[in-house]
Amino acid sequence: MAGPLLAIETVTAGYRGNVVLRDLSLAVEEGTLAAIIGPNGHGKSTLLRAISGLVPLSRGTISLAGRRIDRLRPDEVVAAGVVHVPQGDLLFPEMTVVENLMMGAYLPAAAAQMPKRLDEVFALLPKLAERRHQIASTLSGGERRMTGIGRGLMADSRVLLLDEPSLGLAPILIDQIYEVVVRLKRSGRTILLVEENASRVADKADRIHLLDHGSFVWSGAGPELMARPEILATYLGG
Amino acid sequence: MAAPPPVAPHRRGLVPEQSSHAGGGAILSVRGVSKHFGALAAVDDLSFEVMPGEVLGIGGPNGAGKTTLFEVISGLSPATRGAILFDGRDITQASPEAICHAGIARTFQLNAGFDSMSLADNVRVAAYFGRAHRSWPGVKVGADTDAVVAEALAAVGLADRAHLLTGSVPVLDRKLAMLAGAIATKPKLLLLDEPVGGLNPKEIDHVMGVVRTIAARGITIILIEHIMRFLVELSTRVLIMHHGEKIYEGKPKGLVSDRTVIDVYLGEGASERLGALMAARERA
Amino acid sequence: MDVLIQIVASGLTLGAMYAVSTIGLALVYGSLNMLNMANGALLALGGYVCYFVATTLGLPAPLAVLAAMLVCGLAGLLIYLTTALPMLRSGEFETRIFIATIGLGSVLENVIQKVFGPQPLPQPLKAPGDVVIGAVHVPNQNLLILATALLLMVLVAGLLQRTRIGRAIRATAQNREAAQLMGIRVGQVYAIVLALSGALAAISGIMISSLTSLSPTMGAEPMLKAFIICILAGLGNVHGAVASALLLGLIEAGAQYLLGVRWSFALLLLIVIAVLVWRPYGLFGRRQVVRL
Repeated sequence: MAGPLLAIETVTAGYRGNVVLRDLSLAVEEGTLAAIIGPNGHGKSTLLRAISGLVPLSRGTISLAGRRIDRLRPDEVVAAGVVHVPQGDLLFPEMTVVENLMMGAYLPAAAAQMPKRLDEVFALLPKLAERRHQIASTLSGGERRMTGIGRGLMADSRVLLLDEPSLGLAPILIDQIYEVVVRLKRSGRTILLVEENASRVADKADRIHLLDHGSFVWSGAGPELMARPEILATYLGG
Repeated sequence: MAAPPPVAPHRRGLVPEQSSHAGGGAILSVRGVSKHFGALAAVDDLSFEVMPGEVLGIGGPNGAGKTTLFEVISGLSPATRGAILFDGRDITQASPEAICHAGIARTFQLNAGFDSMSLADNVRVAAYFGRAHRSWPGVKVGADTDAVVAEALAAVGLADRAHLLTGSVPVLDRKLAMLAGAIATKPKLLLLDEPVGGLNPKEIDHVMGVVRTIAARGITIILIEHIMRFLVELSTRVLIMHHGEKIYEGKPKGLVSDRTVIDVYLGEGASERLGALMAARERA
Repeated sequence: MDVLIQIVASGLTLGAMYAVSTIGLALVYGSLNMLNMANGALLALGGYVCYFVATTLGLPAPLAVLAAMLVCGLAGLLIYLTTALPMLRSGEFETRIFIATIGLGSVLENVIQKVFGPQPLPQPLKAPGDVVIGAVHVPNQNLLILATALLLMVLVAGLLQRTRIGRAIRATAQNREAAQLMGIRVGQVYAIVLALSGALAAISGIMISSLTSLSPTMGAEPMLKAFIICILAGLGNVHGAVASALLLGLIEAGAQYLLGVRWSFALLLLIVIAVLVWRPYGLFGRRQVVRL
């Protein structure tokens, strides 16, 4: 297949008159892990929401394997193979952990594999297995994060969008989650994630993109970024 | 600096210390506290003390009971067993308002703020209702409250942006407003629940500076955080919880050599990085 | 003793009838955040279509019921397509749809009046005979209503808990954005929920008119009671709505016996106010303790 799997071209988008993304372009090659870093409030989450269809574009296009997905409804974007694990988790509060996970495999293709996927997610996140019948609204912050990520892993995704997967997680769990992410990438999935802490992704991401005030100001490989501390210092400090 | 406001006569639920044991001067004494939800013990027979002026850092795996502990101390979710003494007084079953007026303030993991109001107004609400019991809220907030508000905003660095609407500002400012609201209640003890989650290193540094300023005023602080840099650099002492119990209590540097802590909380990678970080700071 | 049986029998019947249309209201509010004020008119429409098919067209009773369900289901769908869907994106949805559906209901009632006339008409669907318990004659019609209502509730519960579309409805009600991110077509969910609530309103209308009679504005009071039940139960809570409906039916029957029909509604409302003062989120509503 020629060209990147996910192509974002000169995209402008925002909320109610505020422009958040300005003329933004990004190409993500299949089977790679791309990380977006940058100051808070500058559009990282908005970009993921624009890809998954929750935020409409005022200009530009987003294509998956050459097919435009920016005018599709969010559920159609999911059906096309783009799974978004949002930052606020957005769990179903009155459903249990396992019911939430099962909702991740709502579409028929994934539903057929449900038992196997559930086992995989529970093996990966044993805490969720422990709490499988607990109602989501009673979970702790980190447990909700885990459930949200687990739910995202239940679906068949060609592209997985992860919004700050490490937020609120204990250090040991962060390492485990990133191990999973790298394993997923190695098995062929394409992953686009947003991360607050550049050093966490520097040695794992194939490409890192620095988003500032709605546009990308720097793109490159991890080692390059760590060799240029002044870039990080300017935008992120430390 | 102004002295803390005098104790109002009508504070419900605060029982003066009955026993002769004075608690050794601890400002907060948690004794055998348990919190059960049905059969599940979210906090299990936990005991520890906090001395005035300390910064106690609490860490632990997700679901260990850390936020539940804060809910028990601040009165939102009373303990099922055990006792909590604050400044010598039993607050175990006191109402959240009484505990706030007694001098304990708290911030939350999620950005709790009134979105349609300005940052300054959010802090005003805290300053007005949080410092003293108001049986009849007045029409005007009053000059002394305004002074407290201005001071709190300046302490966190929000003075120039205070007029902006809370719903429209970046997450750092919302967290700072929450912190300003907490200190505007003139607390003696401040409970901070994951104050820097989601912030980048520059923003974390800023919040660390603010917390140091607050601690310098003599306010005792207990903080929950997973961002280890924040936890170890600010805390004078660290407590790690797991399944509602204490598995470590001691100096921050001991964390990286405690086997249990590494196995259940830090993991090998993070503990190595943390060890290196602490060693570097010590050399500096 | 006989009086008690009488009260329980009529109370459960009343409660069952209310429960059927309350489920529809609770579903619509739960998933769409929409208070459908046209529900009363749909109730009446159901009763009238049944009458028309059974009497004027002379077709058998089951067909009449089916026809009523289809027509009202379609009406529910139309309400979604013409009114709710265009308004969903705009601000202040809840207020605007509330007013819009009041208007729709009014129009519908007037159309019914023009077509069928304002005089009360008898509902032909009645099961003859009665059953004797103690010294009390309980009409078979009441038992039929109770049985039908219970069956419907079991079916709706089964739909929500065990079917794929049921999970989609529950997911949409609990978190719309998350539901979209799971691949659920929420527009379709809304349409189904509104159509379903229309069909349920039709059955409720047939039941109620079989005990009283058909009139264009017959739906107003039952709809008001259905709303009260929803609020008493905790808005959006379907199981709680059923339990509250039965409870309210019993209270109403008791009040009617003790004070007469005139005062029963007032007493009902007073009791509801007292309950809400004690538990503002409704009897079964979750206390909104958001985990911060």
